[in-house]
Amino acid sequence: MRDYLDDQPIRLRGFQAAVTNFRRPLLLGLLLCAVALVLIVLDQWGQLGPTRGVLNQVINPVAQQFAGARNGTGGFWASIMDIPHLQAENQRLQQENSQLKADAITYERVLAENTYLRQQLAIEQEQPWQLLGAEVTVRTPDAGRRVMHIARGSNDGVQVGMAVIGQTGSEPAALVGVVEDVGPHTASVLLITDFGSRISTFVLQNSSIAMGLVQGQWQHGSRLRLEQLERGVTLQEGAVVVSAGMTGQLDLPMPLARIPENVPIGTVETISVDGHAQVAELRPYVDPDQVSYVWVILSDTR
Amino acid sequence: MVCASDTRWIASQRFEEWLTREILLILGMVLVALIQVSLLPTPLGLTPQIMVILIVSRIIIGTTAIQPDSALSVALRWAFYGGLALDLVSATPFGSHALALLLASLVIVLITSRIHVDGFILPLLAVALSLLLYEVVLALIYTLTVASIDWLIYMQVIVLPSILITLIPTLPLFLSMRWVWSRVVKDI
Repeated sequence: MRDYLDDQPIRLRGFQAAVTNFRRPLLLGLLLCAVALVLIVLDQWGQLGPTRGVLNQVINPVAQQFAGARNGTGGFWASIMDIPHLQAENQRLQQENSQLKADAITYERVLAENTYLRQQLAIEQEQPWQLLGAEVTVRTPDAGRRVMHIARGSNDGVQVGMAVIGQTGSEPAALVGVVEDVGPHTASVLLITDFGSRISTFVLQNSSIAMGLVQGQWQHGSRLRLEQLERGVTLQEGAVVVSAGMTGQLDLPMPLARIPENVPIGTVETISVDGHAQVAELRPYVDPDQVSYVWVILSDTR
Repeated sequence: MVCASDTRWIASQRFEEWLTREILLILGMVLVALIQVSLLPTPLGLTPQIMVILIVSRIIIGTTAIQPDSALSVALRWAFYGGLALDLVSATPFGSHALALLLASLVIVLITSRIHVDGFILPLLAVALSLLLYEVVLALIYTLTVASIDWLIYMQVIVLPSILITLIPTLPLFLSMRWVWSRVVKDI
């Protein structure tokens, strides 16, 4: 019994292990592989969805705390890189009492929220969208997929297919991704740079409008590509690309997408000819990997 | 003289100790996964795979342990729990990361049990190899369950940068773990 329950084997077994033999760990490894395979199959059959949802709800508050630590005062790593400044700051803070520290933390939080709310208000004044702000909590560890989790879910009115926008610097608020999966308190967002993301778009240039498709290219070493452009249109560098609001109607891999019309995506950077068709590399207005706070477009009041 | 009820009580105590240890291990792995996906920077859009570094380091340290087979069993449990923790925060089928990490770990166990290399080159090579295997297995699962991928571009754009970024914190983490195991755990 001891052998199975305890990692420290009895003395006699110790002598055996010294001579041998990696059979026990290899067998354990193969057994665990089999368990992992069974889990994959069960998940593919949809048996693990509810359990996964519950576990996500449990770890989401912790992930939010971590994300808060990352986003606060320019990010955890930026703070580590700035150790001399932190030491001086620490000396100054030590002179303050605990109440003042707590106030300062609260103030910082409120200030950050205020900034995000001001951004949201500015976007809502410019665009006919009802927005819901959300913190980016997790960027998934799958190097092959561009997905992020946000701290809003179905309880906040988020639904699958809703567009998610972000804003950085002086760029306009622009499309970041589409809600792919929703839990009660969290949602996963498929980023526009993912290869699986295809969005119907309008290309605006010289007072004319042309239709096209924008596909993510991150897995191909780029960001966004504009293709299937209307015939007879000559693309120009710098042309503005916005959503056409028809992704849900077209036969695309994201049939539930409810991206409203005129959500900015990016500008045409380079143009090439592929056979008879034109394709263009786009520079997105917002790099989805750099946003820490996003807004879900709940409805278009146009 | 030990009676049957005493034996049962001792077995029950040991089971509780084992269960506590496993639960703490699982919580530790969830914490590492959360640090990896929430806290670490994402240069080039990729996160350093600290879970892979921890597990490979545990395997290398395990091969020099007083009881290597026991230590390697622990390392494989780390891989399983660590993989499941990553599965919780990923968008791939549940179990994918666990399977990928376990297969990569098994290969590293097989190699490190036959090759004894001192110095810094072994952890670097082992992490690079295990990460290659880990990403390939994940890509295979993605191909089988979601969509096919262009392997050459996948290797150039995802796997190679991911390996390079992960190699940066490999030595500091490995040396820290080895120090802890030699001074605190006293297992090597």
